[in-house]
Amino acid sequence: MLDLGLWFYSGCFLAILGSLATVWGPNVQDPIVRTFNTEIAAIGVSLIFLTYNHTLALLTFITTSVAVSLILLRAITRLEEMEADV
Amino acid sequence: MLVPEFVPQIFASWYMPAIYTGFIIAFVGLIGIAVPKRDIHVLILTDIIGLAMLVIVGAVGTDLAEALILPGLVVELAEILAISEILISREMRKKDKIPSLFPTPLTLDMEIMTTAPNFLAIVLIGYGVFLTGFTGGAVAGSGILVYIFSRKVRGLPILIIDGIGAVSGISWCLWIIGFFLFFVTPQFWLLSLFLAACGLLLKVASKMGLIGVLMREEYNKK
Repeated sequence: MLDLGLWFYSGCFLAILGSLATVWGPNVQDPIVRTFNTEIAAIGVSLIFLTYNHTLALLTFITTSVAVSLILLRAITRLEEMEADV
Repeated sequence: MLVPEFVPQIFASWYMPAIYTGFIIAFVGLIGIAVPKRDIHVLILTDIIGLAMLVIVGAVGTDLAEALILPGLVVELAEILAISEILISREMRKKDKIPSLFPTPLTLDMEIMTTAPNFLAIVLIGYGVFLTGFTGGAVAGSGILVYIFSRKVRGLPILIIDGIGAVSGISWCLWIIGFFLFFVTPQFWLLSLFLAACGLLLKVASKMGLIGVLMREEYNKK
């Protein structure tokens, strides 16, 4: 269909954009916004894996990125629940 | 640059862009960590560094990359889980508070949780044993998790938890023996393949079962 390189370079672009958004993006002082911004970079890395035909790695990466964001959200909500200043 | 002939030309031409992407992500993430921030932000930024590692490993573009990415993912997950637990327990110790395990009270009041778990667990474990290996272990382990979370079994004695740990150790031995036989006597490759696969099945399934037991114990404590 479309050129394979398009998916690869858009994956690279999304990964870099997501990491920039995580570090310097708007409203990143809120940890939840920062966590969601890492998902942009995760989508970029998924596209890179997709173009390289890393099927097993892609499936495992999708699962672990969901698990990581759940762990991070749990940590954030529990720390806020305790009103901790970390 | 020496490129083996079984690497497709297009993957070889993508090597440099992918490596540069990985370095840029790592640089941005490390700068973000270097600026002093609250601990939870550093934990989130660690995730970005993990992504940079994955891109650099994945740029190799062969089965070797895939084989290296899988343990990398598991290590990253374990690392983030451990650091977040350390953060939470440190704050709990500071405040002398015992908050609930889940952020919101978890009420799973569905009929399927009381009627179906036996059947679901048997199907999942049977299919997992049929698959063997890492995937089979994950499937069988999720069967054990379903069974434990539906709370059909209550108050497992400590002996069973120790027993699950022992099964895990024995499975490592199976795995190592399988690998050893692979190199010493390659003509028995089928035997060593099955030893390694069954060892890995037991290992992953027992680990997931153990996580389920520990979470259930903590959940029922309140």
